Amino acid sequence: MPSRTGSHSPAGTGKSLPERGLLLLMVLVLLEGSVLPLGAASSPDISHQKNVDNHKVEHEKNYTKKAFPVLDLDYHHIQTPFEISLWVLLASVMKLGFHMIPRLPGIVPESCLLITVGLLVGGLIKLAGEKVPPVLDSQLFFLCLLPPIILDAGYFLPIRPFMENLGTILMFAVVGTLWNAFFIGGLLYAVCQIQPANPSELHQLEILPCLLFGSIISAVDPVAVLAVFEEIHINELLHILVFGESLLNDAVTVVLYHLFEEYSAAGTVTVLDGFLGIISFLVVSLGGILVGAIYGILTAFTSRFTSHTRVIEPLFVFVYSYMAYLSAEMFHLSGIMALIACGAVMRPYVEANISHKSHTTIKYFLKMWSSVSETLIFIFLGVATVDGPHHWNWTFVTVTVILCLVSRVIGVVGLTCVINKFRIVKLTTKDQFIVAYGGMRGAIAFSLGFLLKKEQFPMREMFLTAIITVIFFTVFVQGMTIKPLVELLAVKKKQEAKRSINEEIHTQFLDHLLTGIEDICGHYGHHHWKDKLNRFNKKYVKKCLIAGERSKEPQLIAFYHKMEMKQAIDLVESGGGVNLPSAVPSTVSMQNIQPKKPPPAKPVEKALPKMTKGREEEIRQILRSNLQKTRQRLRSYNRHTLVADPYEDGFSELLIKKQKMIELEKKIQHMNNYLTVPAAPPDSPTMCRARLASGRGTDFKPAQQQRGNKISPDPQAYSSKPAADRVPTIQVDLASPQSPDSVNLMDEFRRADQQEEDQGLMMKPPSGQSGPNRPREEDRGREQQKMTRCLSDPGPSADEEEEDEPFLP
Amino acid sequence: MGFNGTSPLLDQRGELRPEDFGAIRELSMNPIGDRIISAFFSPGKETVDFASFVRILAHFHPTETSRSRDGVQPEPANSRTRKLKFAFQLYDQDRDGKISREELLQVLRTMLEMQVTEEQLQSIAERAIQEADLDQDDAISFDEFRKSLEKVDIDHKMSIRFLS
Repeated sequence: MPSRTGSHSPAGTGKSLPERGLLLLMVLVLLEGSVLPLGAASSPDISHQKNVDNHKVEHEKNYTKKAFPVLDLDYHHIQTPFEISLWVLLASVMKLGFHMIPRLPGIVPESCLLITVGLLVGGLIKLAGEKVPPVLDSQLFFLCLLPPIILDAGYFLPIRPFMENLGTILMFAVVGTLWNAFFIGGLLYAVCQIQPANPSELHQLEILPCLLFGSIISAVDPVAVLAVFEEIHINELLHILVFGESLLNDAVTVVLYHLFEEYSAAGTVTVLDGFLGIISFLVVSLGGILVGAIYGILTAFTSRFTSHTRVIEPLFVFVYSYMAYLSAEMFHLSGIMALIACGAVMRPYVEANISHKSHTTIKYFLKMWSSVSETLIFIFLGVATVDGPHHWNWTFVTVTVILCLVSRVIGVVGLTCVINKFRIVKLTTKDQFIVAYGGMRGAIAFSLGFLLKKEQFPMREMFLTAIITVIFFTVFVQGMTIKPLVELLAVKKKQEAKRSINEEIHTQFLDHLLTGIEDICGHYGHHHWKDKLNRFNKKYVKKCLIAGERSKEPQLIAFYHKMEMKQAIDLVESGGGVNLPSAVPSTVSMQNIQPKKPPPAKPVEKALPKMTKGREEEIRQILRSNLQKTRQRLRSYNRHTLVADPYEDGFSELLIKKQKMIELEKKIQHMNNYLTVPAAPPDSPTMCRARLASGRGTDFKPAQQQRGNKISPDPQAYSSKPAADRVPTIQVDLASPQSPDSVNLMDEFRRADQQEEDQGLMMKPPSGQSGPNRPREEDRGREQQKMTRCLSDPGPSADEEEEDEPFLP
Repeated sequence: MGFNGTSPLLDQRGELRPEDFGAIRELSMNPIGDRIISAFFSPGKETVDFASFVRILAHFHPTETSRSRDGVQPEPANSRTRKLKFAFQLYDQDRDGKISREELLQVLRTMLEMQVTEEQLQSIAERAIQEADLDQDDAISFDEFRKSLEKVDIDHKMSIRFLS
């Protein structure tokens, strides 16, 4: 996107105007398009009926021949899907539009803009005289719009900080929500009772409907929190606190809502009911989690067998999770908690089983659905505001808003005092402020209010108006001001840096250390139980749920491979960028085939030309990642997999890479001048590549060895069959993109020379210089394989070959 | 306190020996259990008395942020630096002030418990050293160690609450 400054230079406005105009045009067209069909929908089927009658009558009399309709308009046929698509399209275009307007996304959070759009659309529909469709219908909302967002949140929930702060989160969610509900409900009732002068309708408000209203309005909404917090990037602790609270308070809300709704008719709530309510709460929350966990385990188990049908892997994740949600809702358990539990439980096992592509698919589908859902929810909120029967009562509404704020603040402050006694890292005042300020209400509250029946609750409209006002207040006022406040208070922001392998190693080390110390002290604390859970997991659970050899893979290795893969992908996608972080696995850790010899680890760079370490690494990385595309029979590391295809193959990408390779070669060519290794016979590149291809370093008998100074872009490349053990079968594949990359291998060998090992492998005509060089090549080769193995796609079977076609035809 | 409270550790002489630690079952299952045990004993000594025991455990006291910094007070045992130093010493068995590649490999080997090949260990160790090693001496000094852990909340991680 071209960066636009705020300056009103003619060039700037000139550029953006046509775009804006186009956008506006599209919006208008869409709106008109949506308004008319929605209007047509309401025009009853009477005319249709008449036609049918007429037709029937005609038919009985005689068959009057009409002209054959060449072009017909049958809107009813496709009406419902068309409208749905129109809404989704509107939502997505809006999302696009906001980011085109300069500076707006920085000031106003997206949620506010979307609500505004919803208001506009609703207004337009009303102006057109049509009936506004009941878009925020609770069925639609709870069954279609909410699950994707929650699943997205649950699947990508950061488990470690969540578990570490679980106590705090639960306190806020359960106790905080209860406090809010009773405080607001109670005080509202009190306020409603004091209306001495004018007997207003408020007097009719009983205590129970008040409490019901309190329970509806008190829950912090995950959708709104997500929407706003996503843009302010605060530190992980606060994020997880508010977000976790918004997710876990669902159980409380469900119980309170049902409790008060049931008994508002009766008019009283006894102690027994209260007691049953507490039990119900436990059942709802624990039951929801249990249902979710069961489905999660089912998913993990199913994913164990998907090695042959990788295309439908994402489907299992989505369908099982959705069924978990529906099952929980069926029993009136907490569907949100079920979804969270399902996603969190299944994730480690599913990710170990599925292929990389499926992983990407799941990630992107979840993000897409949740994004669309969220947009739709906010737009619908706006539409429903315009539509809904409103009943404005100044007292009620203002008191509600004020009480919401006050109770939130008191609740947070009070709870923090208690919580801080048990926390190691205390919550500061700033933290408390952000937690209190971040307590936003959203569409869930509205839908719950919408669900109320008019007969039971005559005050329904008033409730809805108040709910909408609170939602608007929190989303607009709090949403817009939280970002500047975060800046003002200098709250710690999220640290963007990725986790380094050092951190991972040391964190695990410290975990073990703390567990040991706890054992010495005889104190069964946090670490002890975590350690026990890990052991149980490793011993039993992983064996069942993870396919094949991956079940034995320790966490550190998985992490390491993930890092390697990510880095390689990043590097290649950026086209072999100049700046490489120095933390790249060097080739020093070459290991012999004879495992007994420890490698002398000394970087030998003296003889080499002055090439910066970064450059060197960069080249190595590029080569390594490109080499993955070859099908190799990989050695020892326990996966029976072959192919690594960490990113989608696209022709244009490859062409670009090819070009870059050629450039790189030219640069390397300069360096060759420093070397004294004699030129090698021209077919040696092929040999080198072949050696790599076969993957069996030791058994290899390379005919002629050497590498040459010359780098002639060899149009030949090879494709090796995995079965090629001893002798590399070299097939010439002219169009293969491999060639420029592979050629560079040789230079890579020379360049990144860091270890002298004399293996005495294979050598036919041992020339003086080639002696030490050759083993190095071997090492390079093996090292390449290892790296590629590390980077390879974690899917178990050899059938992967069919799935991926690394070579262009 | 475990010293007197945990029965396996009771010893009439008021001192602990390595065997007493070994009696704790969970500790023997811990991959770095023996390192922890040896950390309690000063180099060369065979026993640890109550005072030293407590001094080691004091490292794990939760950090108090409100401690005033007047240079007169010696640095408290549970400060972040001291905690890190303790952890560092567990890596650095030969006490030369650096974690060499071999020491790191040993730690990795014990933690990963034979589930990985030697090559993988090598590559991981190599990468770890490369990431952390700023002065290119192929070993991790205490400062580099501390720097690589700056994002980790050590105060939280290395504290046991009940010790207050």
